[in-house]
Amino acid sequence: MPRLTARERREAYQREYAFQKKHGKSFFPHAVFHDTIVSLIVVALIMGMAVLWYAQFGPVPEIADAAREGGILGPAYEGKADPGVLRYDPRPEWYFFFLFELLRIFKTPELLIVGSVIIPTIWMVLLIGWPFIDRNPDRRLSRRPVALAVGVMVPIVLLTLTFYGAKAPGAVGEASTAPGAAAFANGACSTCHTFADAGTAGNVGPSLTANAVDYETALNLITNGKGGMPAFSAQYNEDQISCLAGYVATHSGAAAGKEGPEAATAAETYPASCEKAGGEFAGTAAAG
Amino acid sequence: MSTLLPPPGEIAKMPVDWVEERSGLITFGKFMLFRNVPKDISWLQTLGSALITVFILQVTTGILLAMYYQPDPDTAWMTIKFITDEATLGWLVRGMHKWGSSVMVVLLFLHMGRTFLFGAYKYPREMTWITGAIIFILVMGMSFTGYLLVFDERAYWATIVGVNINGTAPILGPALSWILMVGPEISTHTLSRFYALHMLVIPSILGGLIALHMLLVVRLGVTSPPWSRMQVTESDV
Ligand code: HEC
Ligand code: HEM
Repeated sequence: MPRLTARERREAYQREYAFQKKHGKSFFPHAVFHDTIVSLIVVALIMGMAVLWYAQFGPVPEIADAAREGGILGPAYEGKADPGVLRYDPRPEWYFFFLFELLRIFKTPELLIVGSVIIPTIWMVLLIGWPFIDRNPDRRLSRRPVALAVGVMVPIVLLTLTFYGAKAPGAVGEASTAPGAAAFANGACSTCHTFADAGTAGNVGPSLTANAVDYETALNLITNGKGGMPAFSAQYNEDQISCLAGYVATHSGAAAGKEGPEAATAAETYPASCEKAGGEFAGTAAAG
Repeated sequence: MSTLLPPPGEIAKMPVDWVEERSGLITFGKFMLFRNVPKDISWLQTLGSALITVFILQVTTGILLAMYYQPDPDTAWMTIKFITDEATLGWLVRGMHKWGSSVMVVLLFLHMGRTFLFGAYKYPREMTWITGAIIFILVMGMSFTGYLLVFDERAYWATIVGVNINGTAPILGPALSWILMVGPEISTHTLSRFYALHMLVIPSILGGLIALHMLLVVRLGVTSPPWSRMQVTESDV
């Protein structure tokens, strides 16, 4: 077959499509019939999910602001959002898991932007610009090896990311008795950070077992947040923040075999803040 | 007496003729219904119309929810609770809206997969693909803004993390998260801003883009499958 110029190809396409249309069938009732059946199935599916969700609701909670439990499709609602509440689960809707997982892969501060901005932007550009990237005029898959490879890779990558993104983070071990450890383990921190001393295995933020963080850095991060790390100044008071910062500074970096840079001074001063903060923050070591 | 009035059939046709004479809508409707499509179109090509159905369902259930919902941090959660626990069939309306969004995302992926498989984004349908890609991104925006509205613990924290992630972009990032949150943290203004985006701004743009997408589909016609055996024969040329 001789190579066609772009113009000839377009004309050939126009001719062929005009032919197919001429010998085609009427949109109504043929296509409309199929469309209606599929739409009805989809509406039935949505109603079915709503009913299944509802059928597994627990009783309406007695306590104000509490969650109403549910079954496999999740709770009717969780507890009312309260910035002061320390327990939480920052997981998004399932179809954002693939983006969420990217953040876990690029969790060090220097690389974070790769997962949070660079890769998603590239994806969006590729998605929108795809008709200009794939210039191959053929539609048959057997003649589109590159498109076929892309078409197989993309779902595999997205499904894998979604699968790992769905795994819940959380606690894996016992918290130590150091002041601040229990507050770290039971609070928000555990969802995002792996920290052997507190027995947590979150993987949104950097591992505090591996990284040694000094007191000032920790204090600043917990108070003001940075990147994927939320600011906690609305949730915790000054004593609580300085207690957590002190705890992190003295116990982080264990895997690297080094203590936090100001471990010695912080170790002397921070238990006082924890004592003042009270509750979970106080720890049991101070007493012993 | 019967000679004074036209027969009933004629009377019934009068309003139709009136509309047709002034707008041409009947001709347009007939064109839409009776235009030809290729003979061998497949079941895979029904996913787009299913998406329109789901969009209409989201708009309808969304409007019903909006009649009870209050975008205020103190009352938002209470109104969701009222809709779910007390309002007649409120659980059904909310459940269909909630699960409709998941089904919509799945259908979007399937529909994109189908057009990819068929090479339906090639000449002359490049613009149809581009409008679709933007619709996809906007639907993700719908879900992101809708998630906060429930204002339970998970909604609150997921949104903080999401906004912080926007904030990591150079230069624009911090500005963007400030614009989304209206300040450094989630407040009354954040919730009403998300609500306005979720039920006014994004859906209107989405509706417009869907209309454009459809205009292109009708104008260009749907592709026949790439395995189509229909070929132009000599006698037709
Ligand atoms: C939503 C997830 C999330 C939560 C919750 C969270 N962090 Fe973080 N954290 C991060 C991320 C992401 C970073 C990296 C920030 C950066 O530098 O870009 C980080 C960084 C840190 C660092 C510095 C680590 C290093 O290697 O530089 C410390 C210390 C820290 N967090 C302590 C805490 C404490 C204490 C809490 C609980 C009050 C907490 N984090 C809660 C996500 C989180
Ligand atoms: C014009 C159309 C829409 C209107 C008026 C609307 C309105 C609303 C309202 C009032 C709520 C709060 C009530 C609730 O959470 O149950 C809500 C929630 C939500 N909306 Fe929409 N919505 C529309 C379209 C969509 C679309 C197209 C999607 C996504 C595909 C979507 C996704 C969501 C999600 C995920 C929630 C949270 C639902 C939950 O967890 O219960 N919405 N919407």
